[in-house]
Amino acid sequence: MSETSHSGTSGTLERYALPPDVRERLGELRDLSEKAQDGDKAARAKARRDLVQKLRESSPAVIARASDVSRSAQHMLIGTAVGGDPLTELALSGRLDMLREEIAGENPTALEVLLTEQVVSCWMWLQLLNALMSAQFKLKLPDGVKRSPPSYVRHMLKVEESAHRRFLASVTTLARVRKLQANTPGVQFNTQINLGRGN
Amino acid sequence: MALEKRGGNLYYYRSIRRGDKVRRVYVGSGELARIAHERDLMDRAVEEGRRQEERRELENLESLAAPVLEVGEAATVLARAHLVASGFHKRKGEWRRERNLP
Repeated sequence: MSETSHSGTSGTLERYALPPDVRERLGELRDLSEKAQDGDKAARAKARRDLVQKLRESSPAVIARASDVSRSAQHMLIGTAVGGDPLTELALSGRLDMLREEIAGENPTALEVLLTEQVVSCWMWLQLLNALMSAQFKLKLPDGVKRSPPSYVRHMLKVEESAHRRFLASVTTLARVRKLQANTPGVQFNTQINLGRGN
Repeated sequence: MALEKRGGNLYYYRSIRRGDKVRRVYVGSGELARIAHERDLMDRAVEEGRRQEERRELENLESLAAPVLEVGEAATVLARAHLVASGFHKRKGEWRRERNLP
């Protein structure tokens, strides 16, 4: 069976979770988005105005915090995948940077940066699951690795399938936002997101 | 599993489930009953240990996935909010721009 032990999995660590105020803001945005799509025309218009206002107030902070959490999560996944090998950690970290740059493109909006982080995190999660599972499908297992029972492998395959669906959904969301918001006046706000490594 | 003592002798039966029914299958008596019983106890302990290890592995995986899921949820909510604020709405699974918007 593969080892997935890593530092910080016991309990939810602060840096790997969104703070309560960000969750609250997300809840408000979710409610307003629903209201802006229901009811009569006047109610929808009002809800949309409220939503625009709320986005102006909340979006920069929420995006910045979620991007931070995403970066921390990526580093945690890398740490687990490489099992303490600093060279592989460096290579994988560089691979994520390249991926991030390639997906985000030039002058990405703050939302595109967050969606890019989501795509990169999902990709990394999928790679980790692939690495954990690949050993199980080899004819001859490496020394010290035991073959997992079929019930466990079945469960892991379901987890992998779900991660794959999530990855595809994140790519679709980014593509949709880019396509629909092209030539559409969006909600303007400025936000600073730390693109350097070292989270 | 049952190790029974009757008339000074040991008798060992295994309970085997087939569908909804549980059958008691006679394994043996005397020393054989005792050995078979201990062997089954050991197998059961090994199996339980394996299950616990699997549970720990899955819990570790869940805690690894948690931040990825959380950020995914946040990104989805924000993307939707931005699209709705920009005048789009979802209709029959497709995002469309509302008419008569600037």
